[in-house]
Amino acid sequence: MTAALYLYALLGTRPPRGRWRGLRNEPLRFRRIGGVVVAAGSLTAAPAPSAPALRRHDAVVRRLARAVPAVLPMRFGMAVADARTLERLIASRAPALRRALARVKGREQMTLRLFGTGGPAAPRAASRLAAQDGPGTRYLAARHRPWRRAAPVVARLRTGLEGLIRDERVEPSEAPPLLASVYHLVDRGQTRAYRRAVKEIACRLDDIRVVSSGPWAPYAFAPEPGD
Amino acid sequence: MRRARGRRRRIADDELDASVLDLVDHVLNKGVVVSGDLMLGLADVDLIYLRLTALLCAADRVTPSEAPASRALPARRARR
Repeated sequence: MTAALYLYALLGTRPPRGRWRGLRNEPLRFRRIGGVVVAAGSLTAAPAPSAPALRRHDAVVRRLARAVPAVLPMRFGMAVADARTLERLIASRAPALRRALARVKGREQMTLRLFGTGGPAAPRAASRLAAQDGPGTRYLAARHRPWRRAAPVVARLRTGLEGLIRDERVEPSEAPPLLASVYHLVDRGQTRAYRRAVKEIACRLDDIRVVSSGPWAPYAFAPEPGD
Repeated sequence: MRRARGRRRRIADDELDASVLDLVDHVLNKGVVVSGDLMLGLADVDLIYLRLTALLCAADRVTPSEAPASRALPARRARR
């Protein structure tokens, strides 16, 4: 890898002057492009996708998030060849990125993992399908089963957390016992109330365990490539 | 006493696993993607090199789903 700009985050505003460093202790540069501030460092070798490197990337993003009200983390490993390429790429998506920054301003992400603790849901329905339908239908039904189990809990959480959550992303899982991941955008400073409310709801669930983590920078609320 | 230590260790391991999994999910699988190059390397050897324009836009991001606001499959499932 020749020297490239390694991208950490997009910010709504420049952070205060300070000793800003990246995951290899390289100095961070801040460039304003189309109303978006890009935090990047210059690296000559690609970072290895290891747990320590992921932690360091996250630590850089967290530090930036503490300094500015709006931050959108870049996915680990994003690098561009030079400033000109960066400018072209960000400028082409600037309106969507500005909208996304406005949405996460003053907010942070909480993550819930929903784990099934009992046996597979609706075994009777599964055996009925097995008798009547072909392998394709059975395959799709099996893929859909974890979500059928998680959906009522996700709805219950949404209702119980009303007033605390500003946005939500739900990702059904295909890897039991994880049934689904739920990402909530909450106002900064509200995470304690959020955790308390989640705990109250979770302790009344019979066969699903809810594990919460956070606060995180809003990784799950990045705009889609097509936005 | 030994059992209690073992239990504490298991809980600690669970927490560690959960936090590493969260880290991988958030940092490696989420976040802003620009149409640039993603390079993940080990010991200066590039392991993964992806043109990101369309590859990381997994099918369930662009097709309607019964799950509300359903999001992407992990990037590692993208064709390489």
